[in-house]
Amino acid sequence: MNTPAIEITGLTKTYRPGGEPAVDDLSLTVEPGTVIGFLGPNGAGKTTTIKIAAGLLSATAGTVRLNGHDVAARRSAAMAQFGAVLEGSRNVYWTLTAWQNLIYFGRLKGMTRAAARSRATALLTELDLWERRDDTVGGFSRGMQQKVAIAAALIADPAIVLLDEPTLGLDVAATRTVKNWIAELSNDRGKTVLLTTHQLDVVEELCDRVAVIRAGRIATDLPTGELLAGFRLRDTYEVHVEGHPDLPVLPAGFTATAEADTTAITGRVADPREVYDLIDLLRARGLVLRSLTQSQPGIEDVFLTLVGDARHG
Amino acid sequence: MTTTHYAGAFGNEIGKGLRQLLSGGRELAIQMLTFPVFYLLVVLFMGRGRLLPELLLPTLLGMVALTFIHEQVNRVFWSYQGDIQSGVLEQTYLTPLPSVVVVLGRQVAAAVSALPTAAAVLAAGYLAVTVNDGGFPVTAGVLVPLAAIAVGTAGLSLVICGLTLVYQRIEIIPQVSVAVYAVAGGTLVPLTAMPDWTATAARLLVPIAPGVEAMRDMVIGGDPLTALGSGWGLGWLLLQPILILVIGVVLFARLERVAKKRGTLGRY
Repeated sequence: MNTPAIEITGLTKTYRPGGEPAVDDLSLTVEPGTVIGFLGPNGAGKTTTIKIAAGLLSATAGTVRLNGHDVAARRSAAMAQFGAVLEGSRNVYWTLTAWQNLIYFGRLKGMTRAAARSRATALLTELDLWERRDDTVGGFSRGMQQKVAIAAALIADPAIVLLDEPTLGLDVAATRTVKNWIAELSNDRGKTVLLTTHQLDVVEELCDRVAVIRAGRIATDLPTGELLAGFRLRDTYEVHVEGHPDLPVLPAGFTATAEADTTAITGRVADPREVYDLIDLLRARGLVLRSLTQSQPGIEDVFLTLVGDARHG
Repeated sequence: MTTTHYAGAFGNEIGKGLRQLLSGGRELAIQMLTFPVFYLLVVLFMGRGRLLPELLLPTLLGMVALTFIHEQVNRVFWSYQGDIQSGVLEQTYLTPLPSVVVVLGRQVAAAVSALPTAAAVLAAGYLAVTVNDGGFPVTAGVLVPLAAIAVGTAGLSLVICGLTLVYQRIEIIPQVSVAVYAVAGGTLVPLTAMPDWTATAARLLVPIAPGVEAMRDMVIGGDPLTALGSGWGLGWLLLQPILILVIGVVLFARLERVAKKRGTLGRY
């Protein structure tokens, strides 16, 4: 059996003695080569978990192993497996050039100068930054800065890459570049990627698995397809009727919303026959149907439902 | 990880610090201009409007040390402060190397970065002393107190940087500490002219005090390094900075652990 790329066991973090734990007995195992989406609302414990995994924060209890190396006990070996782009951070020095940054971070990760130069050349070329390598990063666009940050995280060719909001603030083209890169990291290079983002379309497109954290615990941890399929057992239907008429009592699960010149009746049902019942009801009242649409829930619907469940339960 | 990796990363950290110094070339030029002017103004005020030869040299020795400690402490403090504010400090901790390599690299880079301004003050002083027909006896032995000042200052910087990791907005501490050393370090007024308890406290606690006192003894008094006329002698000149450095290393390591416990490495 393969050693898990990331193995978090019974992780607990309490910032103040006797206070509420930010992370509460959290366990998560990620196999090598997986792209896992690590999602959760603000304050759920994502950042705390990530920082403990990166060795930037000490845990109150529990362990994090990266390719079998305990981050707390064998930090050096664990960090050799790891590269990260942290959210909300510059990640690289803006006063240095792209080239100087990559050489600096390469040497910081224990690479020889020759190895760092060779790898920096390859990364800057792949990211279309070679022509700008001698420009200071502070003068780059947000997308280019993010590319340099990703290149710095990958300079030592780590087996595990943590990307915290890597597409935040990027334009469409830069987002596409970063997404392609993440896909390539996993598909072609066998990297394990832990991805956190609030852009759920990115998760749906890239992630093999999704783990949702709420109140410091893992609420759901499933393959992306399985997670969506579970929710797709109940499709969403939306019926538009003309004007804003008095509606009959709607079947359970349907709600009505007045729009500009129509009324939308929306509901998630397991059996499509319930929709026919609704239409029969509307026709009996003599209401004019304008449209009927069926949609499957996306990852955003799933996430909101899971988080909503947490907030109500 | 081998010693070669450690040495490589250590040199890398110094290289980064020096590249940042060069990228702030205008700021450095301004400092290299203002600090010598400040020194000359101090001598002018103390000499009631005249650059008295008997004040130029003693004050110069103090001012060179003070400029050095001011620059080193502030540069290394702001390197941490800036990295915490921007968030890049956390990236520097994602290394398989022990953090001490990076920490020491920053200290050395700060010390080297402090040299141009201190050298500018020295050059201005040398010019002023020679123009005023004063002698400027140079002895290689002065390098010992200068080294003692650099080591002691590194210890102080470590304490301040450790506090920065935990408490962040403590700009006032390096500012006040350097101001206190300007008064209590014997830079403007020799320790021998101070009350005994003040001189004792300064020799014990102020990183530059034994060094400045020794330089005055050697350059002005003509004392050999092994028989310094004032202060507590060569033994204390060597021991005090080492003690301050050890205290700095221990405190920094403890405060770094506290920062990791509280999660303040990347919080501002």
